[in-house]
Amino acid sequence: MSLATLYPWLKALHVVSAFLFVAGILTTSMVLAAERANPGSAAPVAGLLAKSERWLTTPAMLLVWAFGLTLAVTAGWFSSTWLQVKLAFVVLLSAVHGLQSGQLRRLVRKKALKPLPTLPLILVSLLAVVVLAVVKL
Amino acid sequence: MSSHDDSTQLRWLGILSVLEATTLVLLVAVAVPLKHIAGWTIAVHVMGPVHGLAFLAYCWAAIQSIAEGGWSRLEAARLLATAFIPFAGFANVRLIARKSAALRTGVVQ
Repeated sequence: MSLATLYPWLKALHVVSAFLFVAGILTTSMVLAAERANPGSAAPVAGLLAKSERWLTTPAMLLVWAFGLTLAVTAGWFSSTWLQVKLAFVVLLSAVHGLQSGQLRRLVRKKALKPLPTLPLILVSLLAVVVLAVVKL
Repeated sequence: MSSHDDSTQLRWLGILSVLEATTLVLLVAVAVPLKHIAGWTIAVHVMGPVHGLAFLAYCWAAIQSIAEGGWSRLEAARLLATAFIPFAGFANVRLIARKSAALRTGVVQ
């Protein structure tokens, strides 16, 4: 099977992983925001969210990177400006995920959360990533 | 989450720190000389992305660990700085082992 044949499959798997990753970080962001606004409100879902963070969102992030880098290498996009800018936003989203994951662990351990408004950052990064990937400016 | 979970997380952080430093050693001390001396570019093509992924994985684990708390500002800065200083990841092992021991004895909550 040639790389050209594999390309649509790699792209499809990259998009599915990205959907799962973004769904996970958006959910965690909103649950953490709810907990900060109303302490104790997120306690019933904290354990479940921590579990989905470990088994769904984090593996999805790793797959996004793996499929994304494979796509970039096979298509020879590393010298393209759009990809370099997109990579910066993906690094930012991955860092936000790490920060939220740490805060989620604090929530599970019933420790106070730190002020960390991540939702605007996630939405702006998401917009930039999708526009750059589709339009390839 | 228990101190067992924290201990496991710290162990992962230590493993990723050593992995990041080791892949850099392999890239700089083996793959790059092979490319320039013997003309074998394949080693750089393999080790480059491997080190890149190890670097990202370590940075992610360090950010998660710092966000969870239990590190002083100096320790947090050191964890992040070592990702950018070649081979410094090996020096993290002692810091992480110390933190893990403190966790076991209940000094760090």
